[in-house]
Amino acid sequence: MTLTKDIDLRDRETRPSPPMTTFPATFSANTATDAGPVERASRTSAALVDLLEGLSQSWLWTTLAHQDLKLRYRGSILGPFWQTVTTGVMIASMGFIYAKLFHTPLQTYLPLLAAGLVFWQFASGLITEGCTTFYSVQGIIQQVRLPFSLHAYRLVYRNLLILGHNFVIVPIVLMMFPQPITWLRLLELGPGLGLIILNGVWISILFGMISARFRDVPPIVASIVQVVFFMTPIFWPADGLGRNRWLAEINPIYAAIDVLRAPLLGQPTERYSWSILLGITVVGCAASFAFFARFRARIAFWV
Amino acid sequence: MSFLRLRGVSVEFPIYQASSRSLKKLLLASSTRGNLGRDAHDRINVLALTDVSFQIGDGERFAVIGLNGAGKTTLLKVLAGIYEPTHGRFASSGKVSSLLDIQVGLNLDATGRENIILRGMYMGIHPYEMRERAAEVAEFTELGDYLDMPVRTYSAGMMIRLAFAASTCVPPDILIMDEWLTAGDAHFLDKAQRRVEAFVRTSSILVLASHSLELVERWCNRGILLHQGRTVTIGPVAEIISDYRQLAEIGTLPDLAAPLPSVEAAQ
Repeated sequence: MTLTKDIDLRDRETRPSPPMTTFPATFSANTATDAGPVERASRTSAALVDLLEGLSQSWLWTTLAHQDLKLRYRGSILGPFWQTVTTGVMIASMGFIYAKLFHTPLQTYLPLLAAGLVFWQFASGLITEGCTTFYSVQGIIQQVRLPFSLHAYRLVYRNLLILGHNFVIVPIVLMMFPQPITWLRLLELGPGLGLIILNGVWISILFGMISARFRDVPPIVASIVQVVFFMTPIFWPADGLGRNRWLAEINPIYAAIDVLRAPLLGQPTERYSWSILLGITVVGCAASFAFFARFRARIAFWV
Repeated sequence: MSFLRLRGVSVEFPIYQASSRSLKKLLLASSTRGNLGRDAHDRINVLALTDVSFQIGDGERFAVIGLNGAGKTTLLKVLAGIYEPTHGRFASSGKVSSLLDIQVGLNLDATGRENIILRGMYMGIHPYEMRERAAEVAEFTELGDYLDMPVRTYSAGMMIRLAFAASTCVPPDILIMDEWLTAGDAHFLDKAQRRVEAFVRTSSILVLASHSLELVERWCNRGILLHQGRTVTIGPVAEIISDYRQLAEIGTLPDLAAPLPSVEAAQ
Protein backbone atom coordinates (compact mmCIF):
# COMPACT_ATOMS: atom_id res chain seq x y z
CA MET A 1 0.00 0.00 0.00
CA THR A 2 2.90 2.31 0.67
CA LEU A 3 3.63 1.95 -2.99
CA THR A 4 0.50 3.65 -4.23
CA LYS A 5 0.79 6.32 -1.59
CA ASP A 6 4.29 7.14 -2.61
CA ILE A 7 3.36 7.44 -6.23
CA ASP A 8 0.44 9.68 -5.50
CA LEU A 9 2.59 12.04 -3.49
CA ARG A 10 5.22 12.27 -6.13
CA ASP A 11 2.56 12.87 -8.68
CA ARG A 12 1.55 15.98 -6.83
CA GLU A 13 5.00 17.30 -6.29
CA THR A 14 6.00 17.05 -9.91
CA ARG A 15 2.95 19.04 -10.86
CA PRO A 16 3.15 22.29 -8.95
CA SER A 17 -0.03 23.99 -7.91
CA PRO A 18 -0.07 26.92 -10.37
CA PRO A 19 -1.97 25.52 -13.30
CA MET A 20 0.92 24.75 -15.57
CA THR A 21 0.01 22.79 -18.61
CA THR A 22 2.28 19.98 -19.64
CA PHE A 23 2.66 18.94 -23.20
CA PRO A 24 3.91 15.62 -24.34
CA ALA A 25 6.82 15.53 -26.66
CA THR A 26 6.14 14.24 -30.09
CA PHE A 27 8.62 11.99 -31.68
CA SER A 28 7.07 10.69 -34.83
CA ALA A 29 9.94 10.19 -37.18
CA ASN A 30 8.53 11.95 -40.19
CA THR A 31 5.66 14.06 -39.09
CA ALA A 32 5.82 17.21 -37.09
CA THR A 33 3.06 17.37 -34.59
CA ASP A 34 2.28 19.88 -31.98
CA ALA A 35 0.72 18.01 -29.14
CA GLY A 36 -2.27 19.31 -27.32
CA PRO A 37 -2.46 19.69 -23.56
CA VAL A 38 -1.88 16.56 -21.62
CA GLU A 39 -4.94 15.23 -20.06
CA ARG A 40 -5.70 11.73 -19.11
CA ALA A 41 -7.00 11.11 -22.61
CA SER A 42 -3.82 12.00 -24.43
CA ARG A 43 -1.67 10.11 -21.94
CA THR A 44 -3.81 7.10 -22.64
CA SER A 45 -3.47 7.51 -26.34
CA ALA A 46 0.29 7.99 -26.00
CA ALA A 47 0.43 4.69 -24.13
CA LEU A 48 -1.70 3.03 -26.77
CA VAL A 49 0.50 4.41 -29.54
CA ASP A 50 3.52 3.09 -27.67
CA LEU A 51 2.03 -0.42 -27.45
CA LEU A 52 1.05 -0.48 -31.12
CA GLU A 53 4.25 1.11 -32.35
CA GLY A 54 6.16 -1.52 -30.41
CA LEU A 55 4.11 -4.28 -31.98
CA SER A 56 4.66 -2.93 -35.47
CA GLN A 57 8.42 -3.17 -34.98
CA SER A 58 8.21 -6.91 -34.51
CA TRP A 59 11.25 -7.47 -36.72
CA LEU A 60 13.30 -5.57 -34.17
CA TRP A 61 12.23 -7.36 -31.00
CA THR A 62 12.28 -10.79 -32.57
CA THR A 63 15.79 -10.23 -33.91
CA LEU A 64 16.94 -8.83 -30.57
CA ALA A 65 15.47 -11.79 -28.70
CA HIS A 66 17.23 -14.25 -31.00
CA GLN A 67 20.43 -12.36 -30.46
CA ASP A 68 19.95 -12.41 -26.68
CA LEU A 69 19.90 -16.18 -26.76
CA LYS A 70 22.80 -16.36 -29.16
CA LEU A 71 24.96 -14.16 -26.96
CA ARG A 72 23.89 -15.86 -23.76
CA TYR A 73 25.17 -19.19 -25.00
CA ARG A 74 28.06 -17.94 -27.08
CA GLY A 75 30.92 -20.39 -27.16
CA SER A 76 28.90 -23.32 -25.86
CA ILE A 77 28.28 -26.33 -28.07
CA LEU A 78 24.70 -27.02 -27.11
CA GLY A 79 23.68 -23.37 -27.04
CA PRO A 80 20.17 -22.77 -25.75
CA PHE A 81 19.68 -26.53 -25.57
CA TRP A 82 21.73 -26.46 -22.40
CA GLN A 83 18.55 -25.32 -20.74
CA THR A 84 16.79 -28.34 -22.22
CA VAL A 85 19.46 -30.67 -20.90
CA THR A 86 19.24 -29.11 -17.44
CA THR A 87 15.48 -29.51 -17.39
CA GLY A 88 15.75 -33.04 -18.74
CA VAL A 89 18.21 -34.09 -16.06
CA MET A 90 16.03 -32.51 -13.41
CA ILE A 91 12.93 -34.34 -14.65
CA ALA A 92 14.71 -37.68 -14.88
CA SER A 93 16.29 -37.49 -11.44
CA MET A 94 13.28 -35.99 -9.68
CA GLY A 95 10.90 -38.28 -11.53
CA PHE A 96 12.17 -41.56 -10.17
CA ILE A 97 12.52 -40.40 -6.58
CA TYR A 98 9.25 -38.54 -6.28
CA ALA A 99 7.24 -41.23 -8.05
CA LYS A 100 8.35 -43.55 -5.26
CA LEU A 101 7.73 -40.87 -2.64
CA PHE A 102 4.19 -40.22 -3.82
CA HIS A 103 3.55 -43.93 -4.52
CA THR A 104 2.62 -43.00 -8.07
CA PRO A 105 3.57 -45.12 -11.11
CA LEU A 106 6.18 -43.53 -13.40
CA GLN A 107 3.71 -43.94 -16.24
CA THR A 108 1.54 -41.14 -14.81
CA TYR A 109 4.09 -39.23 -12.76
CA LEU A 110 6.82 -38.54 -15.29
CA PRO A 111 4.57 -36.89 -17.93
CA LEU A 112 2.95 -34.80 -15.20
CA LEU A 113 6.32 -33.66 -13.92
CA ALA A 114 7.82 -33.05 -17.36
CA ALA A 115 4.99 -30.89 -18.66
CA GLY A 116 4.63 -29.22 -15.29
CA LEU A 117 8.27 -28.23 -14.99
CA VAL A 118 8.58 -27.03 -18.58
CA PHE A 119 5.54 -24.75 -18.25
CA TRP A 120 6.56 -23.67 -14.76
CA GLN A 121 9.90 -22.54 -16.07
CA PHE A 122 8.14 -20.53 -18.73
CA ALA A 123 5.72 -18.89 -16.29
CA SER A 124 8.28 -18.22 -13.58
CA GLY A 125 10.75 -16.94 -16.16
CA LEU A 126 8.20 -14.40 -17.34
CA ILE A 127 7.56 -13.24 -13.79
CA THR A 128 11.14 -12.99 -12.55
CA GLU A 129 12.55 -11.62 -15.77
CA GLY A 130 9.52 -9.37 -16.07
CA CYS A 131 10.99 -7.35 -13.22
CA THR A 132 14.04 -6.58 -15.33
CA THR A 133 12.18 -5.44 -18.45
CA PHE A 134 13.32 -1.84 -18.29
CA TYR A 135 16.36 -1.60 -16.10
CA SER A 136 18.13 -4.41 -17.90
CA VAL A 137 18.01 -2.28 -21.05
CA GLN A 138 18.62 1.06 -19.35
CA GLY A 139 21.49 1.67 -21.74
CA ILE A 140 19.18 1.50 -24.72
CA ILE A 141 16.47 3.54 -23.04
CA GLN A 142 19.00 6.27 -22.23
CA GLN A 143 20.35 6.32 -25.75
CA VAL A 144 17.62 5.70 -28.29
CA ARG A 145 14.00 6.63 -28.40
CA LEU A 146 12.07 3.37 -28.83
CA PRO A 147 8.56 2.40 -27.80
CA PHE A 148 8.82 1.16 -24.21
CA SER A 149 6.53 -1.74 -24.99
CA LEU A 150 9.15 -3.07 -27.39
CA HIS A 151 11.32 -4.13 -24.45
CA ALA A 152 8.42 -6.11 -23.00
CA TYR A 153 7.69 -7.83 -26.30
CA ARG A 154 11.35 -8.73 -26.64
CA LEU A 155 11.38 -10.28 -23.18
CA VAL A 156 8.21 -12.29 -23.72
CA TYR A 157 9.38 -13.49 -27.11
CA ARG A 158 12.76 -14.51 -25.71
CA ASN A 159 11.03 -16.59 -23.04
CA LEU A 160 8.82 -18.10 -25.69
CA LEU A 161 11.94 -19.16 -27.58
CA ILE A 162 13.34 -20.73 -24.42
CA LEU A 163 10.03 -22.55 -23.93
CA GLY A 164 10.36 -23.83 -27.48
CA HIS A 165 13.75 -25.34 -26.66
CA ASN A 166 12.56 -26.80 -23.38
CA PHE A 167 9.39 -28.20 -24.81
CA VAL A 168 11.19 -30.91 -26.83
CA ILE A 169 11.33 -32.89 -23.62
CA VAL A 170 7.56 -33.18 -23.38
CA PRO A 171 6.92 -35.16 -26.61
CA ILE A 172 9.87 -37.42 -25.77
CA VAL A 173 8.40 -38.25 -22.36
CA LEU A 174 4.95 -38.65 -23.88
CA MET A 175 6.30 -41.13 -26.39
CA MET A 176 7.88 -43.14 -23.62
CA PHE A 177 4.77 -42.99 -21.47
CA PRO A 178 1.78 -42.53 -23.80
CA GLN A 179 -1.21 -40.63 -22.41
CA PRO A 180 -4.84 -40.63 -23.61
CA ILE A 181 -4.38 -37.53 -25.77
CA THR A 182 -7.07 -36.44 -28.19
CA TRP A 183 -6.32 -34.07 -31.05
CA LEU A 184 -9.33 -31.98 -30.20
CA ARG A 185 -8.05 -31.29 -26.72
CA LEU A 186 -4.66 -30.26 -28.10
CA LEU A 187 -6.42 -27.35 -29.79
CA GLU A 188 -6.80 -25.87 -26.31
CA LEU A 189 -3.08 -25.23 -26.26
CA GLY A 190 -3.58 -22.34 -28.67
CA PRO A 191 -5.85 -20.12 -26.57
CA GLY A 192 -4.03 -21.23 -23.42
CA LEU A 193 -0.67 -20.13 -24.71
CA GLY A 194 -2.22 -16.97 -26.11
CA LEU A 195 -3.59 -15.99 -22.71
CA ILE A 196 -0.29 -16.72 -21.00
CA ILE A 197 1.56 -14.57 -23.55
CA LEU A 198 -0.85 -11.71 -22.84
CA ASN A 199 -0.17 -12.20 -19.15
CA GLY A 200 3.54 -12.14 -19.88
CA VAL A 201 3.16 -8.78 -21.59
CA TRP A 202 1.26 -7.11 -18.79
CA ILE A 203 3.50 -8.63 -16.15
CA SER A 204 6.69 -7.49 -17.83
CA ILE A 205 5.33 -3.97 -18.28
CA LEU A 206 3.86 -3.59 -14.78
CA PHE A 207 6.56 -5.46 -12.86
CA GLY A 208 9.21 -3.91 -15.07
CA MET A 209 8.05 -0.39 -14.22
CA ILE A 210 7.62 -1.02 -10.50
CA SER A 211 11.02 -2.69 -10.35
CA ALA A 212 12.67 0.16 -12.21
CA ARG A 213 11.32 2.51 -9.59
CA PHE A 214 11.68 0.31 -6.48
CA ARG A 215 14.75 -1.83 -6.72
CA ASP A 216 13.67 -3.99 -3.80
CA VAL A 217 10.90 -5.51 -5.83
CA PRO A 218 12.88 -7.99 -7.97
CA PRO A 219 14.39 -9.89 -5.01
CA ILE A 220 10.99 -9.92 -3.28
CA VAL A 221 9.35 -11.30 -6.40
CA ALA A 222 12.13 -13.86 -6.84
CA SER A 223 11.68 -15.21 -3.33
CA ILE A 224 7.91 -15.32 -3.67
CA VAL A 225 8.23 -17.23 -6.94
CA GLN A 226 10.51 -19.72 -5.22
CA VAL A 227 7.95 -20.34 -2.51
CA VAL A 228 5.14 -20.59 -5.05
CA PHE A 229 7.02 -23.40 -6.81
CA PHE A 230 6.53 -25.62 -3.79
CA MET A 231 2.96 -24.49 -3.21
CA THR A 232 1.83 -25.22 -6.76
CA PRO A 233 0.97 -28.74 -7.95
CA ILE A 234 3.83 -29.00 -10.41
CA PHE A 235 5.78 -31.95 -9.11
CA TRP A 236 3.00 -33.26 -6.93
CA PRO A 237 -0.55 -34.15 -7.97
CA ALA A 238 -3.24 -31.71 -6.87
CA ASP A 239 -5.33 -34.60 -5.61
CA GLY A 240 -2.76 -35.12 -2.88
CA LEU A 241 -4.27 -32.13 -1.07
CA GLY A 242 -7.43 -34.10 -0.43
CA ARG A 243 -10.09 -31.92 1.11
CA ASN A 244 -7.89 -28.86 0.77
CA ARG A 245 -7.71 -29.20 -2.97
CA TRP A 246 -9.13 -25.68 -3.35
CA LEU A 247 -5.74 -24.36 -2.29
CA ALA A 248 -4.44 -25.53 -5.65
CA GLU A 249 -7.53 -24.66 -7.62
CA ILE A 250 -7.41 -20.97 -6.76
CA ASN A 251 -3.69 -20.66 -7.51
CA PRO A 252 -3.38 -18.60 -10.71
CA ILE A 253 0.01 -20.10 -11.54
CA TYR A 254 -1.53 -23.53 -11.32
CA ALA A 255 -4.38 -22.35 -13.55
CA ALA A 256 -1.86 -21.21 -16.15
CA ILE A 257 0.07 -24.47 -16.03
CA ASP A 258 -3.08 -26.54 -15.91
CA VAL A 259 -4.65 -25.16 -19.10
CA LEU A 260 -1.53 -26.20 -21.00
CA ARG A 261 -0.73 -29.40 -19.17
CA ALA A 262 -4.13 -31.06 -18.86
CA PRO A 263 -4.71 -31.40 -22.63
CA LEU A 264 -1.23 -32.89 -23.03
CA LEU A 265 -1.92 -35.49 -20.38
CA GLY A 266 -5.41 -36.15 -21.69
CA GLN A 267 -6.89 -35.16 -18.36
CA PRO A 268 -9.77 -32.80 -17.71
CA THR A 269 -8.79 -29.20 -17.01
CA GLU A 270 -9.59 -28.05 -13.48
CA ARG A 271 -13.02 -26.47 -13.32
CA TYR A 272 -11.80 -22.98 -12.44
CA SER A 273 -8.57 -22.84 -14.42
CA TRP A 274 -9.91 -21.09 -17.50
CA SER A 275 -11.94 -18.55 -15.56
CA ILE A 276 -9.05 -17.75 -13.23
CA LEU A 277 -6.64 -17.34 -16.11
CA LEU A 278 -9.09 -15.20 -18.04
CA GLY A 279 -9.79 -13.15 -14.93
CA ILE A 280 -6.16 -12.34 -14.16
CA THR A 281 -5.56 -11.56 -17.82
CA VAL A 282 -8.32 -8.96 -17.88
CA VAL A 283 -7.55 -7.45 -14.48
CA GLY A 284 -3.80 -7.55 -15.06
CA CYS A 285 -3.98 -5.97 -18.49
CA ALA A 286 -6.22 -3.20 -17.20
CA ALA A 287 -4.05 -2.44 -14.17
CA SER A 288 -0.87 -2.62 -16.19
CA PHE A 289 -2.25 -0.36 -18.89
CA ALA A 290 -3.45 2.23 -16.39
CA PHE A 291 -0.05 2.26 -14.73
CA PHE A 292 1.75 2.38 -18.06
CA ALA A 293 -0.37 5.26 -19.29
CA ARG A 294 0.22 7.22 -16.11
CA PHE A 295 3.96 6.70 -15.66
CA ARG A 296 5.30 5.81 -19.10
CA ALA A 297 7.14 9.13 -19.44
CA ARG A 298 8.86 8.53 -16.10
CA ILE A 299 10.52 5.27 -17.11
CA ALA A 300 13.46 7.07 -18.67
CA PHE A 301 14.12 8.82 -15.36
CA TRP A 302 13.70 5.68 -13.27
CA VAL A 303 16.14 3.41 -15.01
CA MET B 1 12.63 19.54 -43.75
CA SER B 2 13.75 18.78 -40.25
CA PHE B 3 13.60 20.89 -37.13
CA LEU B 4 13.76 20.76 -33.37
CA ARG B 5 11.65 23.15 -31.37
CA LEU B 6 11.45 23.72 -27.64
CA ARG B 7 9.04 26.07 -25.98
CA GLY B 8 9.38 26.72 -22.28
CA VAL B 9 10.73 23.25 -21.67
CA SER B 10 11.47 22.25 -18.10
CA VAL B 11 12.66 18.89 -16.91
CA GLU B 12 12.39 18.08 -13.28
CA PHE B 13 12.88 14.71 -11.72
CA PRO B 14 13.05 13.31 -8.24
CA ILE B 15 16.10 11.25 -7.43
CA TYR B 16 15.25 8.23 -5.37
CA GLN B 17 18.60 6.66 -4.77
CA ALA B 18 20.74 9.35 -3.24
CA SER B 19 23.84 7.50 -4.32
CA SER B 20 22.86 7.15 -7.93
CA ARG B 21 25.38 7.96 -10.58
CA SER B 22 23.42 10.77 -12.13
CA LEU B 23 23.12 12.51 -8.80
CA LYS B 24 26.83 12.18 -8.21
CA LYS B 25 27.44 13.66 -11.59
CA LEU B 26 25.19 16.56 -10.74
CA LEU B 27 26.66 17.10 -7.32
CA LEU B 28 30.23 16.96 -8.53
CA ALA B 29 30.10 20.47 -9.79
CA SER B 30 29.67 22.97 -7.02
CA SER B 31 27.99 25.21 -9.53
CA THR B 32 24.86 23.10 -9.38
CA ARG B 33 23.90 24.30 -5.93
CA GLY B 34 20.82 26.01 -7.21
CA ASN B 35 19.40 22.98 -8.95
CA LEU B 36 18.74 20.74 -6.03
CA GLY B 37 15.88 21.09 -3.67
CA ARG B 38 14.56 18.75 -1.06
CA ASP B 39 10.85 18.23 -0.87
CA ALA B 40 8.71 17.58 2.17
CA HIS B 41 9.60 13.88 2.03
CA ASP B 42 13.29 14.62 1.92
CA ARG B 43 13.53 13.43 -1.63
CA ILE B 44 15.90 15.30 -3.82
CA ASN B 45 14.38 16.99 -6.79
CA VAL B 46 16.61 17.92 -9.63
CA LEU B 47 15.46 20.77 -11.75
CA ALA B 48 17.67 19.84 -14.64
CA LEU B 49 16.23 22.29 -17.14
CA THR B 50 14.14 25.39 -16.58
CA ASP B 51 12.15 27.13 -19.23
CA VAL B 52 14.35 26.53 -22.23
CA SER B 53 13.09 27.72 -25.61
CA PHE B 54 14.72 27.68 -29.00
CA GLN B 55 14.35 26.31 -32.46
CA ILE B 56 16.91 24.63 -34.67
CA GLY B 57 16.32 24.45 -38.39
CA ASP B 58 17.79 22.80 -41.46
CA GLY B 59 21.53 22.86 -41.90
CA GLU B 60 22.27 24.30 -38.48
CA ARG B 61 25.15 23.05 -36.41
CA PHE B 62 24.05 23.78 -32.90
CA ALA B 63 26.36 23.75 -29.88
CA VAL B 64 25.30 23.14 -26.29
CA ILE B 65 27.85 24.38 -23.80
CA GLY B 66 27.97 25.04 -20.09
CA LEU B 67 29.85 24.08 -16.96
CA ASN B 68 29.47 20.62 -15.46
CA GLY B 69 25.91 20.00 -14.42
CA ALA B 70 24.51 22.83 -16.50
CA GLY B 71 21.91 20.53 -18.01
CA LYS B 72 23.62 19.81 -21.32
CA THR B 73 23.01 16.07 -21.33
CA THR B 74 19.44 16.49 -20.14
CA LEU B 75 18.83 18.92 -22.97
CA LEU B 76 20.29 16.47 -25.49
CA LYS B 77 18.07 13.73 -24.10
CA VAL B 78 15.02 15.91 -24.54
CA LEU B 79 16.08 16.66 -28.12
CA ALA B 80 16.62 12.95 -28.76
CA GLY B 81 13.14 12.16 -27.46
CA ILE B 82 14.42 10.14 -24.52
CA TYR B 83 13.15 12.45 -21.79
CA GLU B 84 9.72 13.89 -22.14
CA PRO B 85 9.63 17.45 -20.77
CA THR B 86 7.89 17.87 -17.43
CA HIS B 87 6.60 21.24 -18.56
CA GLY B 88 6.59 23.02 -21.85
CA ARG B 89 6.44 21.56 -25.29
CA PHE B 90 8.84 19.86 -27.60
CA ALA B 91 8.29 19.13 -31.26
CA SER B 92 10.58 17.65 -33.83
CA SER B 93 10.62 16.43 -37.35
CA GLY B 94 13.24 14.23 -38.90
CA LYS B 95 15.02 10.98 -38.25
CA VAL B 96 17.15 11.33 -35.15
CA SER B 97 20.39 9.55 -34.47
CA SER B 98 21.86 10.15 -31.04
CA LEU B 99 25.32 9.41 -29.76
CA LEU B 100 25.01 10.15 -26.09
CA ASP B 101 27.23 7.59 -24.46
CA ILE B 102 29.86 5.48 -26.16
CA GLN B 103 29.35 2.14 -24.54
CA VAL B 104 25.63 2.43 -24.41
CA GLY B 105 23.95 0.57 -27.22
CA LEU B 106 27.11 -1.40 -27.77
CA ASN B 107 26.89 -4.99 -26.70
CA LEU B 108 30.27 -5.65 -25.15
CA ASP B 109 30.11 -9.40 -25.73
CA ALA B 110 29.26 -9.10 -29.39
CA THR B 111 31.88 -8.45 -32.03
CA GLY B 112 32.41 -5.12 -33.74
CA ARG B 113 30.63 -6.34 -36.85
CA GLU B 114 27.63 -7.57 -34.88
CA ASN B 115 27.49 -4.25 -33.10
CA ILE B 116 27.35 -2.40 -36.39
CA ILE B 117 24.23 -4.38 -37.27
CA LEU B 118 22.85 -3.92 -33.77
CA ARG B 119 23.37 -0.18 -33.77
CA GLY B 120 21.64 0.00 -37.12
CA MET B 121 18.70 -1.96 -35.77
CA TYR B 122 18.23 0.47 -32.91
CA MET B 123 18.09 3.21 -35.50
CA GLY B 124 15.35 1.36 -37.31
CA ILE B 125 17.49 -0.03 -40.10
CA HIS B 126 16.78 -3.62 -40.93
CA PRO B 127 19.74 -6.02 -40.64
CA TYR B 128 19.51 -6.84 -44.36
CA GLU B 129 20.05 -3.23 -45.28
CA MET B 130 22.66 -2.76 -42.61
CA ARG B 131 24.67 -5.73 -43.84
CA GLU B 132 25.03 -4.01 -47.18
CA ARG B 133 26.48 -1.00 -45.47
CA ALA B 134 28.64 -2.93 -43.05
CA ALA B 135 31.66 -2.95 -45.35
CA GLU B 136 31.57 0.80 -45.68
CA VAL B 137 31.21 1.22 -41.93
CA ALA B 138 34.07 -1.18 -41.34
CA GLU B 139 36.26 0.82 -43.65
CA PHE B 140 35.44 4.08 -41.93
CA THR B 141 36.35 2.68 -38.51
CA GLU B 142 39.79 1.53 -39.79
CA LEU B 143 39.58 -1.17 -37.13
CA GLY B 144 40.52 -4.03 -39.46
CA ASP B 145 40.67 -7.41 -37.77
CA TYR B 146 39.49 -5.96 -34.50
CA LEU B 147 36.00 -5.93 -35.97
CA ASP B 148 35.79 -9.67 -35.42
CA MET B 149 36.75 -9.36 -31.76
CA PRO B 150 34.31 -8.71 -28.91
CA VAL B 151 33.88 -5.00 -28.27
CA ARG B 152 34.92 -5.72 -24.67
CA THR B 153 38.51 -5.75 -25.89
CA TYR B 154 38.30 -2.31 -27.49
CA SER B 155 39.83 0.88 -26.19
CA ALA B 156 37.59 3.89 -25.62
CA GLY B 157 38.84 5.46 -28.83
CA MET B 158 38.05 2.33 -30.82
CA MET B 159 34.53 2.18 -29.41
CA ILE B 160 34.00 5.77 -30.45
CA ARG B 161 35.08 4.99 -33.98
CA LEU B 162 32.73 2.05 -34.15
CA ALA B 163 29.76 3.86 -32.62
CA PHE B 164 30.23 6.96 -34.74
CA ALA B 165 30.71 5.09 -37.99
CA ALA B 166 27.72 2.85 -37.42
CA SER B 167 25.43 5.64 -36.29
CA THR B 168 26.20 7.89 -39.20
CA CYS B 169 26.37 5.37 -42.05
CA VAL B 170 22.84 6.31 -43.01
CA PRO B 171 22.83 10.09 -42.87
CA PRO B 172 20.32 10.99 -40.16
CA ASP B 173 18.25 14.16 -40.45
CA ILE B 174 19.30 15.09 -36.95
CA LEU B 175 22.51 14.00 -35.30
CA ILE B 176 22.81 14.56 -31.56
CA MET B 177 26.21 14.06 -29.98
CA ASP B 178 27.44 14.38 -26.43
CA GLU B 179 30.93 15.48 -25.54
CA TRP B 180 32.55 12.05 -25.51
CA LEU B 181 33.42 12.41 -29.16
CA THR B 182 36.36 14.57 -28.18
CA ALA B 183 38.07 11.45 -26.85
CA GLY B 184 38.81 10.41 -30.41
CA ASP B 185 42.25 11.11 -31.85
CA ALA B 186 42.97 13.99 -34.21
CA HIS B 187 42.95 11.83 -37.32
CA PHE B 188 39.55 10.41 -36.47
CA LEU B 189 38.14 13.80 -35.51
CA ASP B 190 39.09 15.20 -38.91
CA LYS B 191 37.41 12.31 -40.61
CA ALA B 192 34.34 12.62 -38.43
CA GLN B 193 34.15 16.34 -39.09
CA ARG B 194 34.26 15.79 -42.85
CA ARG B 195 31.42 13.31 -42.59
CA VAL B 196 29.32 15.58 -40.39
CA GLU B 197 29.98 18.53 -42.68
CA ALA B 198 28.90 16.45 -45.64
CA PHE B 199 25.51 15.73 -44.23
CA VAL B 200 24.98 19.08 -42.66
CA ARG B 201 25.41 20.44 -46.21
CA THR B 202 22.48 18.26 -47.27
CA SER B 203 20.34 20.17 -44.80
CA SER B 204 20.66 18.03 -41.73
CA ILE B 205 20.95 19.24 -38.18
CA LEU B 206 23.84 18.65 -35.84
CA VAL B 207 23.54 19.21 -32.11
CA LEU B 208 26.81 18.89 -30.23
CA ALA B 209 27.51 19.25 -26.52
CA SER B 210 31.13 19.77 -25.67
CA HIS B 211 33.59 21.28 -23.27
CA SER B 212 36.09 21.73 -26.03
CA LEU B 213 35.60 25.30 -27.18
CA GLU B 214 37.93 24.63 -30.05
CA LEU B 215 35.75 21.79 -31.30
CA VAL B 216 32.61 23.87 -30.86
CA GLU B 217 34.16 26.74 -32.80
CA ARG B 218 35.21 24.43 -35.59
CA TRP B 219 32.00 22.43 -35.89
CA CYS B 220 29.15 24.71 -34.96
CA ASN B 221 27.65 27.96 -36.14
CA ARG B 222 25.09 28.61 -33.43
CA GLY B 223 24.51 27.47 -29.91
CA ILE B 224 23.16 27.78 -26.43
CA LEU B 225 25.00 28.43 -23.18
CA LEU B 226 23.32 26.80 -20.20
CA HIS B 227 23.93 27.47 -16.55
CA GLN B 228 22.18 25.57 -13.77
CA GLY B 229 19.57 24.41 -16.22
CA ARG B 230 18.73 27.88 -17.45
CA THR B 231 19.46 29.58 -20.70
CA VAL B 232 22.19 32.19 -20.49
CA THR B 233 22.76 32.97 -24.13
CA ILE B 234 21.45 31.71 -27.43
CA GLY B 235 23.24 32.97 -30.48
CA PRO B 236 26.27 32.78 -32.73
CA VAL B 237 29.07 30.56 -31.53
CA ALA B 238 31.47 33.45 -30.90
CA GLU B 239 28.98 35.06 -28.58
CA ILE B 240 28.21 31.99 -26.48
CA ILE B 241 31.89 31.16 -26.22
CA SER B 242 32.80 34.57 -24.87
CA ASP B 243 29.96 34.33 -22.36
CA TYR B 244 31.13 30.85 -21.41
CA ARG B 245 34.65 32.12 -20.74
CA GLN B 246 33.26 34.85 -18.55
CA LEU B 247 31.08 32.34 -16.74
CA ALA B 248 33.95 29.95 -16.19
CA GLU B 249 36.10 32.73 -14.73
CA ILE B 250 33.61 34.16 -12.29
CA GLY B 251 31.97 30.83 -11.58
CA THR B 252 28.53 32.34 -11.78
CA LEU B 253 26.67 35.18 -13.37
CA PRO B 254 24.75 37.69 -11.30
CA ASP B 255 21.12 36.86 -10.78
CA LEU B 256 20.36 34.26 -13.39
CA ALA B 257 16.82 33.98 -12.16
CA ALA B 258 15.88 37.16 -13.96
CA PRO B 259 15.81 36.74 -17.71
CA LEU B 260 18.93 38.11 -19.28
CA PRO B 261 18.62 40.67 -22.04
CA SER B 262 20.50 38.44 -24.45
CA VAL B 263 17.94 35.69 -24.00
CA GLU B 264 15.13 38.02 -24.81
CA ALA B 265 16.93 39.20 -27.89
CA ALA B 266 17.54 35.68 -29.09
CA GLN B 267 13.92 34.80 -28.85
